[in-house]
Amino acid sequence: MIHVATLALCLAGFAALAFATRRQQREFLGGPLQPAATYALRAIGTCALLIALGILVAWQGWGLGLVMFSGHTSFAAGIVFCTLIGYARREARTLQRR
Amino acid sequence: MKTDRNPQPAGQGIRQSMSSLHTWAGLLLGWVLYSMFLTGTVSYFKDELSQWARPELAHLSQVPDQAVVAQRVADEFSRMDGGVSQWSMRLPDARNNSVYAFWRTSARVPGQRGFAEANFDPATGHKVASRDTLGGEFFYRYHFQFHYMPVVWGRWLAGIAAMFMLVAIISGVITHKKIFVDFFTFRWRKGQRSWLDAHNTLSVFGLPFHAMITYSGLVTLMALYMPWGERAAFKAPAERAQLAAELSAFVPPGKPSGQKAPMASVEDMVRQAQERWGRDDVGRVNAVHPGDAAARVVVVRGLLGRVSMSPQYMEFEGTTGKLLNVRESVGPAAETRGVFYALHLGRFSDVVTRWLYFLVSAMGTAMVGTGLVMWTVKRREKLPNPDRPYFGFRLVERLNIASIAGLSLAMTSFLWANRLLPSSLDGRANWEIHVFFIVWALALLHALVRPAKAAWVEQLWAASALLFLLPVLNALTTQRPLWHSLAVGDWVFAGIDIMCWVLAGFHAVLALRTARQQAGFRSARKASRRAPIAVAAGGGAE
Amino acid sequence: MSVSIHWVRTTGPLISRIIAALFGGYAVAALASVAVLALPMSKPQAVLTGMLASFIVYACAVIWVFAVRSATKAWLGLLVVAAVLLPGAWSVW
Repeated sequence: MIHVATLALCLAGFAALAFATRRQQREFLGGPLQPAATYALRAIGTCALLIALGILVAWQGWGLGLVMFSGHTSFAAGIVFCTLIGYARREARTLQRR
Repeated sequence: MKTDRNPQPAGQGIRQSMSSLHTWAGLLLGWVLYSMFLTGTVSYFKDELSQWARPELAHLSQVPDQAVVAQRVADEFSRMDGGVSQWSMRLPDARNNSVYAFWRTSARVPGQRGFAEANFDPATGHKVASRDTLGGEFFYRYHFQFHYMPVVWGRWLAGIAAMFMLVAIISGVITHKKIFVDFFTFRWRKGQRSWLDAHNTLSVFGLPFHAMITYSGLVTLMALYMPWGERAAFKAPAERAQLAAELSAFVPPGKPSGQKAPMASVEDMVRQAQERWGRDDVGRVNAVHPGDAAARVVVVRGLLGRVSMSPQYMEFEGTTGKLLNVRESVGPAAETRGVFYALHLGRFSDVVTRWLYFLVSAMGTAMVGTGLVMWTVKRREKLPNPDRPYFGFRLVERLNIASIAGLSLAMTSFLWANRLLPSSLDGRANWEIHVFFIVWALALLHALVRPAKAAWVEQLWAASALLFLLPVLNALTTQRPLWHSLAVGDWVFAGIDIMCWVLAGFHAVLALRTARQQAGFRSARKASRRAPIAVAAGGGAE
Repeated sequence: MSVSIHWVRTTGPLISRIIAALFGGYAVAALASVAVLALPMSKPQAVLTGMLASFIVYACAVIWVFAVRSATKAWLGLLVVAAVLLPGAWSVW
């Protein structure tokens, strides 16, 4: 259960950080967000990742906690990344067909 | 030495030189590295594979009491013909349903090595009656010492490959210096760039893992690769022993006294260890001179509770069971090495962490594979005559097929051999390994004889078919088909059967995409060849 | 005749760098692993520290050899580092 929760937090964290970049804002939201919104997304993303780290360390100690955190972040970053790419490719293909 | 009157061409900056270095460092030993990565990835589940390879041994839904098991096997050793001068056993745990032990026999028969190994049944203490196989251990040992060569040579080859990998990682990061900025602003490019994108993606995500796994791999065998400090510092064997004590729980045997004395209760010794470290976290029990008055028993801590392989053990006097010494810490450099070693092996992992290790390591394997394929894809466009490529290109292209698709075929064939070879076959375990290499060699031959695209597609489909049929073969040749494993909750067998199907699907997808991509590629090239003519005609008309 | 001189001029420096990277790099890393013993720490820990650090020294030496502008500079860099480490290594051998 803890693994599921921390993976979810890492996914949310990376998604938030991704949307804090101008490129993704343009692609998905049509235009750059207000600076305040961007900072907020960065803060939320970072907090989510840190909370995930905290949960794992509290559960398993620093050694195991850090290793698990590394695994979760690698995996979550990969999922977010591939989802963004997959979405962009789909968009490009539908644009091509039009 | 000829002085260099030819410095790098003006304008070739560090990114360019690092890009070339990255390509060469990756390419020269890329095929070796791919096989190390794939066997390493699979080795995270080597204990489970070993269980699967011995279907005669019953599934254990609960870890038996390690203290009782230790006593049973210790008694078995004391009854062994010829006497045993040293033994070492690895106790059963959540991933291992048998006791693996090795020992030295006292009576040395000329011609025999005096050293033996076997698996023991935890319920009875007797040797298990199961087929002679290495199981998952084959992939694990191949990973760092290969086969058909002295182990030291194999380990040196692995070390050299690891250094090439380390240089490839560092040069790769320097070349892609916008790596962190690019992280979420990456755009997926179409066509020939997609291989570069895949390679970059896989490399970047896994970067912490890839860097850690490469460096820690070198650390595991660092005493072999860099013995100079040890040679300079320690001249006497006693000093060497001091260093060895920082690295392993092996307590060097003193001289036997010659008088026989029965061993005290090993069960009690393990119980004390269980109190200290936890019920299921006793790793090994080692004994020197059992049955002699000078006997010593060392109980070594298991690996679950901590991220380190540094030795932690309790040393007991063999005849009385008195606790002589507890070792629970080592110096800072030794602990650092212990942590690196543990990070590489990942034996501290729970199930989820183990799966994460497997997935990220698989990403690393794909990183090496996409790099190798990308080399041919990039150069295929620049070939002056695509139907007669130059030797280097042909070599890389064919080796890629055999070492990537061929390796999947060979590894699956090993498992097929495990199910099909008769139990009575002499040297059965070695024959399973021979099958692996025979199939791999056949794959190389196939790759040389067939046209490249056909070879890729055919080998990928063959691997997919073998993987898909493996659970069927398992159902036909053993008492443990998938439905039975699911019914009794045997997730080791069920998990492997299911993963075979997942991997079969993965290889099928690769085969389909390769067949489709090559065709698409051809038409793109034809289009680009027509374009320059059109431009020339248009230009001429002006 | 001029063809072979041309080949030597263009490939010579590359081969020189490869030798510097493979063997010079290893030598510098090995020297470093011995020179560590001159530091004030217990012998077993020093030996292990030297081994642990040697691989990054080797890798950095290889990167240096291929990053600098000329093969001569590559060798010089390695020799300078070796000269710095040599007294430490000599004193403990």
